[in-house]
Amino acid sequence: MKRFALSLGLIGALAACSTTTPGGAVGQQAVQLRFAAEVNGQPFACGQQYPAIGTTRSTITPADFRYYVSEVQLLTADGQAVPLQLEQDGVWQLENIALLDFEDGTGPCRNGTAGLNTTVRGRVPAGAYTGVRFTLGIPFERNHGDPTVSPAPLNSTAMFWNWQGGYKFLKFDTSTGGNTPDTPAAAGPQGPVTRYSVHLGSTVCAAASRTTAPSACQNPNRVTVAFNRFDLAQHTIVADIGRVLAAANVDVNAPKTSPGCMSFPGDADCPPVMDALGLAYDGRPAAGAQQLFGLR
Amino acid sequence: MGAAGRWVARTLLAAGAWLLLSGSEADGYRWNLPAWVPPPAVPADNPMTVAKVELGRHLFYDVRLSADSSMSCASCHHQDKAFTDGKALSVGVTGERGVRSAMSLANVAYLPTLTWSNPQLNALEVQALIPLFGEHPVEMGMAGREAELFARLQADPTYQRLFARAFAAEARQGPAALYSLSTLTKALGAFQRSLVSFDSPYDRYQYGNQPWAISTSARRGEALFFGEKMECYHCHGGFNFTDNIQHSRLPIAERGFHNTGLYNVDGRGSYPADNPGIVEFTGEDSDRGRFRTPSLRNVAVTAPYMHDGSVATLEDVIRDHYARAGRSTAAHGAPSPMRSAFVMGFEVSDAEVADLVAFLNSLTDPRLLTDARWSNPWPAGSAANASGAP
Repeated sequence: MKRFALSLGLIGALAACSTTTPGGAVGQQAVQLRFAAEVNGQPFACGQQYPAIGTTRSTITPADFRYYVSEVQLLTADGQAVPLQLEQDGVWQLENIALLDFEDGTGPCRNGTAGLNTTVRGRVPAGAYTGVRFTLGIPFERNHGDPTVSPAPLNSTAMFWNWQGGYKFLKFDTSTGGNTPDTPAAAGPQGPVTRYSVHLGSTVCAAASRTTAPSACQNPNRVTVAFNRFDLAQHTIVADIGRVLAAANVDVNAPKTSPGCMSFPGDADCPPVMDALGLAYDGRPAAGAQQLFGLR
Repeated sequence: MGAAGRWVARTLLAAGAWLLLSGSEADGYRWNLPAWVPPPAVPADNPMTVAKVELGRHLFYDVRLSADSSMSCASCHHQDKAFTDGKALSVGVTGERGVRSAMSLANVAYLPTLTWSNPQLNALEVQALIPLFGEHPVEMGMAGREAELFARLQADPTYQRLFARAFAAEARQGPAALYSLSTLTKALGAFQRSLVSFDSPYDRYQYGNQPWAISTSARRGEALFFGEKMECYHCHGGFNFTDNIQHSRLPIAERGFHNTGLYNVDGRGSYPADNPGIVEFTGEDSDRGRFRTPSLRNVAVTAPYMHDGSVATLEDVIRDHYARAGRSTAAHGAPSPMRSAFVMGFEVSDAEVADLVAFLNSLTDPRLLTDARWSNPWPAGSAANASGAP
């Protein structure tokens, strides 16, 4: 699968060299956006230990890191937004949605998949682009369909969240060095273990039943990300979960709530996480810009 | 019959003869799936054919596949129990008891990992070798006796016909190729893949546009099942009600192994030494107590429950196990540290338990349990049905 991804990248790079058709008309430009997943500046790897996480400076051992992006647009210097037409590869990209997958199914990522996907591939009219904008999440109209009959990448059971809320836009799972009454210590060689997750998705989406689509969601929880100084050839878009967890305590879990922050209202673990994602939460307005994504 | 009719009949006859001679590699096998269900993924080297499925069905129900002709595959996989055996643990031909409960074969074609405990076991053609030839535990007890097995099959006129039809290419290579582990396991694999189950009341409710196919109690149970209090669907999600899934429209198979806190023998979350979870195969400490998520289709007829059959009823599974954040919580005063993050425990009323069970009951597909296509094909008195030493 890695080799498959690499050769696709090569094709993308070659295609990018030719931006005009033989007839001389303005052609299409192949674009490959590079994405990465990191933990406090270190590349994400299944089972690797990352120190100094959150307010307790805990050590975490991640078990999953995947996210959907959609509505990718390239921005011109004069502020025009041009939609990236995604290659429909039948695996990672569907319509204007792409699943980025940084776990390889090894070690604690056992319940994941071997395949990796670290790029978004598509075409735009040839031109000079100086910015990029995308959504972390899945558009509403695609978010609440039946995941059991949807095409890839909308048929992953791991990313299917619940029928009303749709998909997990972001799925990050980890064990941590923590110890709480809810998740007592295991006296293992790596010390005590608890579990912490960041699952971002839409909430309070009332529907007729648990398995029918809602008409709207009170908390869409989609994150719009924009970089106005973006060099297609140079930049990688980096999602660093360490920045999202910076003000969180990953060693505890609020009683009777989901482990970590799974976006549901009323979870005392969520405010620092949702703040860092640039989202309003449970009546609190957004604290500022999203911290998850940056450029390198 | 007019001239055109005669022509059609002659053509059909010729086509039929060609299929017989050519090995019927494409004899028009049909899954009979509802339109919404993606067809299973089938290994390239074992395509489905009517002839192979029919051979596999005869083999599946034939006690001559066991050392003393006392057991067939069907001895532990009863159709009326969704191809389980109703026992906590199954007993082999020598009386040795296995360590894990016989799994349902319904929709086994959709499973990328086949058994409770071995993440590497992903082909039905390989899995068949374990009950046939395994020695730890002994199940059908044929280890070292494959020549005897093939001689038994070759001597039966029914098999002479069925093998030749299903494996014409091998038939041309002679008896050693025709009666072989390859053909035997391919036919058994094809029959098991044919066991599809998508005709439950819940399917008619969810996909068949029949909103009253399940009771109001089952609908309340559905809300609990897909809700965040019980979190059932996180692992038992998707159309096969498990997070292990492969099919023809899914580019990458998904696998799920979880520790539910059923045991905690050492306070560190370990399971009993004779049944430690997939750690037995992976060697990874974090895999202690993890087993493959079973499908919940037909779960009402597959008691007793869990990998070792140690929970008798669905009510007990809900009340004594999941509601307590794992059964081992009671013994230790705290939940297992190794259990899945989704096994959080919950308070549950008797009415809620009844609703959830009503929902689980709605996943039973009566057609799977009764369809004659999947029943014992052998006539009464046949050697295939004989019990005890031949």
